[in-house]
Formats: sequence, structure tokens, C-alpha cells
Amino acid sequence: MSADEGSWRETARRRLIELGQTSVGERVLIAASALVLSVLLGTVIVFVAGLLATCRDPVLTIGGSTLCYDPFYVFDRLFLGALGDPFAGGWSPLNPQFALTLRETTVLVFTGLSVALAFRAGIFNIGTQGQLVIGGLLSALTVLWAAPLVSGGLGAVLLVPLGILAGAVGGGLYGAIPGALKAYAEANEVITTIMLNFVAVLVARYLVTGPFNDPNSQANQTPPLPAAGRFPSVVFDPRTDFSLLALGLALVFVAGVYYLLTATAFGYDLRTAGLQPAAAEYGGVDAARTVVSSLTLSGAIGGVGGAVYVLMILGTFQTGVPSYGFDGITVSILAGNNPVGVVFAALLFGVLKSGSTVVAFATNVPPQLVGVLRGLIILFVAMPELFRLIGRRLAAREEESATAAVGGGADD
Amino acid sequence: MTERFDGVPTSGRALVAMATALLLAGLGVAALVAPTSGPGRLFGLVVSSSTLGATLRLSVPIVFAAIGGIFAEKSGVINIGLEGLLIIAAFAAVFGADVTGSLWLGFLVGVVAATALAGLFAVVCIEFRADQIIAGLAVWLIALGLAPFGSQVIYGGPNTDSVGTLGTVTVPGLADLPVVGALFDASPAVYLMFLAVGAAWYTLNRTTFGRWVRAAGENPKALDTAGVDVSRVRYAAVLLSGAFSGMGGAALAFSIGQFTGNGPTMVNGKGFIAIVAYLFGNYNPVGALLSTALFAGLDAVQLRLQTSQLYAVPDSLVQTIPFVAVIVVLAFVGRTRLPEAAGEHYESGEE
Repeated sequence: MSADEGSWRETARRRLIELGQTSVGERVLIAASALVLSVLLGTVIVFVAGLLATCRDPVLTIGGSTLCYDPFYVFDRLFLGALGDPFAGGWSPLNPQFALTLRETTVLVFTGLSVALAFRAGIFNIGTQGQLVIGGLLSALTVLWAAPLVSGGLGAVLLVPLGILAGAVGGGLYGAIPGALKAYAEANEVITTIMLNFVAVLVARYLVTGPFNDPNSQANQTPPLPAAGRFPSVVFDPRTDFSLLALGLALVFVAGVYYLLTATAFGYDLRTAGLQPAAAEYGGVDAARTVVSSLTLSGAIGGVGGAVYVLMILGTFQTGVPSYGFDGITVSILAGNNPVGVVFAALLFGVLKSGSTVVAFATNVPPQLVGVLRGLIILFVAMPELFRLIGRRLAAREEESATAAVGGGADD
Repeated sequence: MTERFDGVPTSGRALVAMATALLLAGLGVAALVAPTSGPGRLFGLVVSSSTLGATLRLSVPIVFAAIGGIFAEKSGVINIGLEGLLIIAAFAAVFGADVTGSLWLGFLVGVVAATALAGLFAVVCIEFRADQIIAGLAVWLIALGLAPFGSQVIYGGPNTDSVGTLGTVTVPGLADLPVVGALFDASPAVYLMFLAVGAAWYTLNRTTFGRWVRAAGENPKALDTAGVDVSRVRYAAVLLSGAFSGMGGAALAFSIGQFTGNGPTMVNGKGFIAIVAYLFGNYNPVGALLSTALFAGLDAVQLRLQTSQLYAVPDSLVQTIPFVAVIVVLAFVGRTRLPEAAGEHYESGEE
């Protein structure tokens, strides 16, 4: 028993030491450690919140104070609930909760990719949210406009691709604005993209409450899209609003971005501009054009995310779009801005988002918990030095001599 | 290359200032020539005392956050998380006031909460050398999640209960003056804001600590050589940014008496506007106050336009005015001259 525990500790220590010295797999370890730390801190937050909240049936009474939430049960619901309780028996991967997880994952792959692509070019695209809103809106309007023009089977084949294209155009143009402002007026893109998020929400609200309002609905939305303009459900129950086709499209985009970054001249320019802007310019890269095209492309991917949100989930465009764009920032940072990593990070985040609905149902913990975790994860991933420091301390103790090596990861 | 850009900020600033003055003058002329015309009535609306009052009220959180941002960035730490500090302070202040039963104690709770979050940000950036932009975004997102979460836990919804407002301090007589009357009939937070601008300007430009802060951002090596701990100065500056933002967030919450946490929360981008305000104000607290007056003034006019039947522009579109103004201003200001060592980690040679 104790020997077992010792070897476990030994392995963990090795891992941490490696973390401080190698770069192979470092990102994965940092992401995993960040996640674990965030969940640990999240547990503390849920515990404190449980003490502050008032409820009729507390799980625990300590002295005079009551504990309303059981942190362990919360995280059990968050992770296992999102998968539809795989250990409960009779589990099927087609269960509605898992479909919800995959549905959220699909949109998050797009927003994560959008942020990641910009990051690789050295650009902070905080505006994926706004690009998703504009893309989704334009997608809905285009499908509504085109639906009467195409009939029967042709509609089913044409409308969804048209909607996706419209989403890409809308998001791309909306991403081009901060791109041009950065390239030609040197306006910081962090600020302009955040401001444009606000503008996007307001413009969308104007359009769906005014000219394109659905007269038959109380909600601020466009008229519902025709069935031919929506993603057909494959295998999964249509009521889950999840389509394997959309997930497939997301994976195609992942492959596309991966190919673009690693195998094309544009991708090379983009990465060089991100890593060493001065060197890129010296090497003949047109910096201004690279900035505009990367943000346009990034916006287009976000816009496609919006189109998928509209064509797969909503079936209309409605105000109050969930914060997929901001989640995309966490997804991208967690994935180390790697397109393939984005798939896993998006799945993890899909679990969190879907799980939070289970949590809200099973306990009284507000689903905003995911919002807290979203920020914490970024914070922990942002400080690899924390893990390196722990790694170095352990390494120094390991060698137990004054000749402690000057760590390889000392200065970035 | 750099010289070309060094010229841009001043001319960009002058351009925006001139355009604003010209626009006001044009409206003024229109008001003289044809007082009942659209532009004439718009001028009447813009220069009214209630618009000034709204401008002052809307300026408070932005100016406080901007002052905080100046301290942090001058010391070499770019604090893009001001928005998050405002959010956490707004919620904590209301919660504090609710628990203690005193608005001013609540105000203090707000300041402490924002300072604590800024402290976390400082540790992450200075001790663990996190990328300042990413860490700042994390601060914003943490607060954006935590405050509505807290509100939901304690008050059962994203909006808290109402705890009352700070009220107004009125100078008899002066408050009845036309146009500027609002200056003498304002919330205590407005007077506190003017006091903070003066104090921040004095601290930055006339005290040893201010000199250290500037040196930590411009030339940390020299400061280090002079025997001053660069990290300590930066910690102090970032904590100050938390304290100032805390006052701004608390004042914001007490201007309507509650915290509202739907969507982007009641802070609604004010922390990011504050960043543009101090960039446009060239890191000078007085400059930040003036550029905030422009954004907040537009916001105030926008609010009045919604209630007046002057122009038939939909509310949603009118509300974009302040955000678009920020983008336009940022485009005109272009590249600002950041402190030399801003965004960089400084490693003392003695370590």
C-alpha cells in the first residue's frame, strides 16, 4: 500500500521535473495541470458558495452554518452527467445529454479554431463572439431569403451550404474590420474586437427586433428557418438538435487549418509574423496584408461557428447568443493554439457546458460556475512558470548538490 | 519608422479634439440660426445641465479604472483586466453594503475585493511571468463568471437586491446655474473622482514613488541599479490599479443601488473604454478625464436621444455610438508610445 503510494508520488514528481526541463508534451501537461488546479479551486469556490447560500435542505450542518452544496457531487454531476452517466448501466452514446455535449463541442471547435488561428499570427482575436453573431445572423437571413427560390430536394442540398458560406462571409468581413484597423491605423485589436462585440450584439438586436422580426413570436428573433435549411440529424435523435454532419464539418475545418498552418506558404508567413514580426517583414512578408488576411480568416471560421449554431441548434437567429466566442479563447489557450489540440479542448469544454445544465438540475449550484472555471483555466495555463518553478524546485532537491543545473526552461 | 509614428499620436489627438469642437460649434451656430431645427434642438440637448450630470455620472467608473490602468502600465504591467476589477468591485460593494448595512463600508469591501483580484494578477504576472495580456483576459473572464455566480448563489438571480444609492451632494445656489449646475449637484463619487484625478497626477509627477513607477516602466535596469526593487514598485502599482478600479466599480454599483449581472454585466465594457481613455489621454490622469468626458458625453447624449423624440433612429443603433467612438478614436490615435519595458518581465541581476 505505502510502496504503491510512494511509486505514484515518484511518478508525479518525475513528471513535474520533466515539466520544467523538456518541451515535449509540456503543453499537454500544463493544460492537464491547469485543469486539475482549476477544478480544485472550483471545489473550494463551490464549498464557500455552499456556506453563503441559503437553502431548505442543506447537505451538511456545521455548528451554526449550513452547507448547501456538496462540491464532490457537483463535480461528479458536471463530468459524468455531461456524458449521460456512463457507469449507470444501459448507457448509450446516443443519449440526449451526450448529444448536448457533442453539440456544444461542435460550435466550440469553430470558435476555438478561430481564436487559435489568430493567435498563431500573433493577434489576439477577442472578437470571435461578435464574428459568430454576425455570421450566424447573415446565415439565417440568407437561408430565409433563398428558401423560396429553391424547391424540393434541391433546397435540402443547397440551403445549408449556402448558409455556411454566408456565415463565413459575414464573420470574415466583420473580422476584416479590426484587421484593417490594426494593419493600417495601428489600432490595438484587443480593444477594437471587444468594442465590435458590443456593436455586433446591438446591430443584431436592431435587425431582429426591426426589419427581420418574426411577427409570430414574442422572442427577439427572425422567422424560423425551413426544415431544408437546417442540418439533418444523423444517427442521433432529431430532438437533440445535434448533427454528426456538423461535427464532421468541424473536423474538416480542423484538418484544413492544420494543413494551412503547416503546409502552405501563407501558413508559414502567418506563423513567422506571429513569432518574429520583424524577421517576417525583413524576409519579405507583407505584415499588413498578413494581419488583415489572418483576422479575416479567423473571423470567417467564427462566422461558420455562428452559422452552425443557427442552422443546427436554433433554427432561427435570436438575441442572447451564448458566449461561445469567449469560451473559444479558453479552448484555444488550453489547446496551446494547436488546431488538433482544439478538438480535445473543445470536447472538454463541451462537457463543462453540458454538465453545467445537469449540475443546475441536480443541485442548486448556478450554471455560471462554468464561467468561473473558464477564467481560472486561462489563468493557470497563462503561467507555465508556476509549473516550471515547481519542477525546478523538485529537480534541485533531487540532485541534492550545489551543481543544480540551470534549467532549460529558465528564460522562455 | 518610429519617428513617423511618434508624430501620429499628437496630430491624431488634435484632430479628434478639433473635430469635436467643430461639431459642437456647428451645432451651436445651428441653434442660433434656427433654434427649432433638428441640429438646433440637438445642441440644446447636448449643452443641458442634465446631459452634463449624466456625463459626470457615466465618467466615474471609467475615470477611476483609467487612473488605475495608468499606474499599472506606467510601471510596466499592462493591466487589460480593468473590466474584471470593475465587475468584481461592483458586486462585492453591493454584497458588502447588504451585509454591513452601510454603503461606505460596502464601498470599502468593493475596493478590497478589486485590490485582492489585482493582487492575484500581480503575482501571476510578476512572480510567475505570465503573459500580461492573457492574464488580464483571465482576470476579466474570472470576474465575468464569479460575480453573476455569486449573485445567483446569494440573491437567487443574476441581479442583486437593491441596497440604495449614494445620493447627491448639492451646493446651494451654484446647483441652479444653467449648463454647469450639474457640477454642484452630483454624487459624492463624482467629487471623489475629481479628487482622485488630482491625487493621481500629483503622485505620478511630483513624488518619489511616482518617479519610481515611471522608471519601472521605462528603464527598470536603472531603477534596479539605484537600489530600488523593481518588482515591489510594480506590485504597488498593480495593487493601486485594483484600488482605483475598486472605487470605480463600487461607485458604479451605488449609482443605481444594485449589481446587474446579465450578459456583459452592468460594467458593459467600461473597463475597456477606460484603457482607450488613458491611451488617448497619453497616460495623464487629466488627459484620461478629458477623453472619458468625450466617451461618457456621447453615452449621455445617446441616452437622452433615446428618450427625446428628436431623431427616429432605433435605440439599439443609437447605443452603438460610444463603442464606435472608441474604435474611431483608437484608429486616430494609432500606435501609442508604450512605456519602454511595458509587457516585459524584469529579472533583477541579483537573483
